[in-house]
Amino acid sequence: MGRSETGWLQRLVSLGDAGLNLTIIFKIIVFGLINALTLWSVTVLGAERQYPLIVALVAGIALFDYVYLSDRVYPVRFIFPGAFFMVLMVVFPIGYTIYVSFTNYGTGHILPKEMVIEQYTGRLALSKDLPTYKAQIFKNPAGDFAFLLTAATGEKLVAADSKASPLSQSHLKPADFDGDGVPEQLGHYTQESVLNVFSALTTLQNLTFEYEGKILKLRTPTEFGFYTPKYEYDATLDALRDLETGAVYFAKDGNFTSITGESLDIGYQTTVGWRNFKKLLTDRRYSAPFIQVFLWTFSFAFLSVIETLGLGLLVAVLLNDPTLKLRRLYRVLMVIPYAIPAFITCLVWRGLLNTEVGIINNAIILPLFGKAIPWFQDPFWAKVALLVVNLWLGFPYMMLICSGALQSIPGELYEASMVDGANGWYRFRRITLPLLLSQLTPLLISSFAFNFNNFNVIYLVTRGRPAIPGSITPTGATDILISYTYRMAFEGGAGGDYGLAAAVSLLIFIIVSIITFINFKSSRALEEVPQYE
Amino acid sequence: MKRYLLLILCLLCVLTISGAYASEEGKLLIWADDTRSPIIKEVAKDFTDKYQITVQVQELNFGDLRDQLGIAAPSGNGPDILIGAHDWLGQLVVNGLIEPIDLGGKEKDFAPVALSAFSWGKNLYGVPYALESIGLIYNKKLVRKAPETWENLVASGKKVADQSKRQWGFVLPQPDPYHTFPLMAAGGGYVFGENPDGTLNPLDIGLNNKGAVQGMQVLLDLVTDGIMPTGIDANTMATLFKEGKVAMIISGPWYFQDFRAAGLDFGFAAIPKIKGKPSRPFTGVQGFMISSFSKNKLLAQAFLNEFIVTEQAMYALYEKGDRPPAYLPALKKVKDKDILGIYDSASAGVPMPSIPEMASVWSAWTNALEVILNGTQQPQEALDVAVGQIKTAIEQAK
Amino acid sequence: MNKSFQGPGERVRTISRQTWDQIWKQVVIWVILIFALYPVCWVISAAFDPANTIVGQRLIPKHASVLNFVRLFDHELHPFVSWFFNTFKVALTSSFIGVCLTSLAGYAFSRMRFRGRKTGLFAILLIQIFPQMLALVAIYLIIFWIGHYIPGFGLDTHGGLTLVYLGGAMGVNVWMVKSYFDTIPYSLEESAKIDGATPLQMLVKIILPLARPILVVVFFLQFIANYSEYVLARVLLATNEKLTMAVGLQVFTQDQFAQRWGVFSAAALIGAIPVLLLFWLLQNQLVTGLTRGSIK
Repeated sequence: MGRSETGWLQRLVSLGDAGLNLTIIFKIIVFGLINALTLWSVTVLGAERQYPLIVALVAGIALFDYVYLSDRVYPVRFIFPGAFFMVLMVVFPIGYTIYVSFTNYGTGHILPKEMVIEQYTGRLALSKDLPTYKAQIFKNPAGDFAFLLTAATGEKLVAADSKASPLSQSHLKPADFDGDGVPEQLGHYTQESVLNVFSALTTLQNLTFEYEGKILKLRTPTEFGFYTPKYEYDATLDALRDLETGAVYFAKDGNFTSITGESLDIGYQTTVGWRNFKKLLTDRRYSAPFIQVFLWTFSFAFLSVIETLGLGLLVAVLLNDPTLKLRRLYRVLMVIPYAIPAFITCLVWRGLLNTEVGIINNAIILPLFGKAIPWFQDPFWAKVALLVVNLWLGFPYMMLICSGALQSIPGELYEASMVDGANGWYRFRRITLPLLLSQLTPLLISSFAFNFNNFNVIYLVTRGRPAIPGSITPTGATDILISYTYRMAFEGGAGGDYGLAAAVSLLIFIIVSIITFINFKSSRALEEVPQYE
Repeated sequence: MKRYLLLILCLLCVLTISGAYASEEGKLLIWADDTRSPIIKEVAKDFTDKYQITVQVQELNFGDLRDQLGIAAPSGNGPDILIGAHDWLGQLVVNGLIEPIDLGGKEKDFAPVALSAFSWGKNLYGVPYALESIGLIYNKKLVRKAPETWENLVASGKKVADQSKRQWGFVLPQPDPYHTFPLMAAGGGYVFGENPDGTLNPLDIGLNNKGAVQGMQVLLDLVTDGIMPTGIDANTMATLFKEGKVAMIISGPWYFQDFRAAGLDFGFAAIPKIKGKPSRPFTGVQGFMISSFSKNKLLAQAFLNEFIVTEQAMYALYEKGDRPPAYLPALKKVKDKDILGIYDSASAGVPMPSIPEMASVWSAWTNALEVILNGTQQPQEALDVAVGQIKTAIEQAK
Repeated sequence: MNKSFQGPGERVRTISRQTWDQIWKQVVIWVILIFALYPVCWVISAAFDPANTIVGQRLIPKHASVLNFVRLFDHELHPFVSWFFNTFKVALTSSFIGVCLTSLAGYAFSRMRFRGRKTGLFAILLIQIFPQMLALVAIYLIIFWIGHYIPGFGLDTHGGLTLVYLGGAMGVNVWMVKSYFDTIPYSLEESAKIDGATPLQMLVKIILPLARPILVVVFFLQFIANYSEYVLARVLLATNEKLTMAVGLQVFTQDQFAQRWGVFSAAALIGAIPVLLLFWLLQNQLVTGLTRGSIK
């Protein structure tokens, strides 16, 4: 009776009654493939010696096998796919951020030490007081290159096989067949045109020729010059020595510094322990405006949630009425603020609210109140402006989720209350609102967290301004915690200090987590949901 | 289990960075923004035709180039050549991302200010190709002749300014240090002082000296006289100018095309002298730089020296970019008076400081300008605060 | 409810309660609409104003023209059509798969009881809260390595970008879905279980049809988010033809002082159309249609 109406999967499984258990065969094939692929990948990675990747891959596949083959963690099978992407794309970057917060990664310290050393030792400087030579390039059938060098003085050298010697002493003799003064042959090497040389430049640039204890090298495709290394690395001292001046620069804390305190331009990335956190918590520059900025951040987030929920809910409820004319059109229109990039709409708002020439002041406020509102010059009004713009940006989101959630309220509840004589407002207050809030609480909390860190809106609309006069570091009256501290990390002293910014991210995360946790506990959103029958 | 995985993946990051680093051999990859890339592609085509070397041009946003380089180059995805502004030098050099460049004797063909802008210590790090700076752009219908002294500017401004008609004599973007600097520099204001060897001293900041304060006072007087409105940003300023509501603005060549399209009859002149001293604007220089992670350094060098540093290529770059060329032979061919005006402004200007410490200057300076123009604080006070903030930031970073 | 308790004579003179309800509701909606759409009018105005400015011009441009739209489709420099389709493709795929991932997880959290359920839910929400400003470098490296071994999913590919967007599919969406599932009575699944259905079948055949409204919401929110996502797309995509709209459009605003707002506005408007169209088509699904609790 029931069987004939069930789907294809049931019918497939029913084939299994005939002796073939297709699901099991399917599973075997899929798992076999995946594990075989993994083994093959391990060999490929092994050949490239990417051991950490191998470990990660094997661990990942082992986890996958466990989840999908063992019955003990059955529910995890449903969570695994989404969680996989989340771990890869979100959790891993968090780990990376935490790692960076313990380093000095930032302007002047982005390369690892070995790379910096390589740069300095690899840099050869042209010896300006030594002659340069015009070069003619020759190539032999095996692909090796030789050069005939002519100095301004007329002195001729032959460079081949990593050595250069004067023409007279070289066993390679130039041969000029057509008598134009330009040899076509140099020993068994034939002349190469500059055109062909260009494609080989990458190889050529690394060729060096030793002559009288000095190094000759290509300076341009047609010229040779003497080069000397400028720096040498001393592994025992862990320092770079300037070969010209003799100064020694010791590797210390991310920079190569000499005893006199000068450091080389390029620094390297290294771990610095808790330095970034200590700076954030104890340095007055950061901690002084903290309370003020924190209070505004909190209020901004809180008020944003309240106002967007208020308007969004209002619109959702109004448009939920099936008898309202044109409500489908209205819904789409209401979504438009959400569909246009905030990048341009925030700019439009900035223009509308411009104190001198903005429409809002000129067309509405001035006629009504006789005085223009200094939207971006006055701290209070700047905050109001931000809240207005955030309301505009955020209410469609709230409208959408309320619309969805409203559908989950069983119709009979309304019917039952109407029979009891309840009016619209009462129905809303006693039925709609509580049921909605229980569903929406996590979303509201998440929206709070989002606005707590809503760097974009602050930046696009006010840039944190107006400035608070007389602060130790540039602070704006509408700066939120994250915009204020990031700005400091990216503009403090020598430019971008990503290590500090990472530490900031971590600290802000801790703050918001605590707030979120408290909210969760008090709203009891994690409790069991009573079932409606 | 997950924690261990995380740790491993974190270590992965470090290891990937310390792995091999190289662009592709035998090819050239150039990063440029959308205004430069079309003309580079054309020049590159000739190069490819002649030498059979593929030249690939990748378009990025001008603002993203520098940051992207720091991520992409060490991990092996960087370009061979990139095109950027000279004030990027500070960051790029201390990050070890660019190579010193050898111009092979062609130095004398470049404007001196361009070469010094792209120099760091004793090395040259870029091949300059364009200069830019700001000046006075005036609406010829409202102001017949460009004022040469500040008094003339005030007089012309007064004639045009009419609050009731929402007309203004003069606007400059606010709060904007870049546009305000010339006024502060006229009297002797400066950002960083110079050491005897020519490098900048980040601890010597001249933003609150007499000249700087004088410059701000001059601006404030314009506001009290009703010649200049407050709180106008660059965009709004351009719009007002296009609508013929403003007689004079301070701006640069970037708006020329727009103004011409709007049919405006405008002229470009140097910013008027204040008390007889020239108002020197910041000079910006754009040029080609070679990445230290390039595998084709000599090839890149040859490409630049043989192909870019030619009258043809440099002039073509000028035509597309609307900025005066830094290469003198190409400059000789330019006829546009406004562009030549920019060149004069730029050569007489102060190269924008390119040391990394410059990053801590902008916010503090902008805030000071804002509170001064709002009337919240007196110029000397506000600038003192700003300099204090900058000094704190720089000292703390050491 | 009609004032049907009143006498016949009085009904003729008063406006019925229902009509009055309708009127004030319409008024309120219109006030809100003006608030919502006024800035948009300016964007439209800028799109039709060849002067390339924003909010300086008058609401109805002096020399209105479609020049900006023409400039927009000047393919050589900015292949807008490619960007458009790229964005649509990536957003659609990632949202669709995202909804699948979220539904699966939401079902487990709603219907099954296991150790770490509550912690897991909370953790998912918490992870989303972490300021991801520095995630760029990490994600760049991850995609770089994936692309190294699996072509088509590395840097400068739409596959890679989609993978990254899928990372953001969970989070608060799981909560939304789970809460909605919670309100669906368990009785239906009980009877299905007796018939021998597996949890997966129960999810697909029973729960999902009933939960359509919330799935539509999740899909749509994800779609908009991925459609206008800029930061990650900017870092991961390089070739001009592969860019998404959000990244590509920046080319009109990056010239520091020569921003082409007119063209940008034109593009923004065109870009908004599919989003709104999609919503128009989907919004029917927002209503269950079935009165709950009376399902047989």
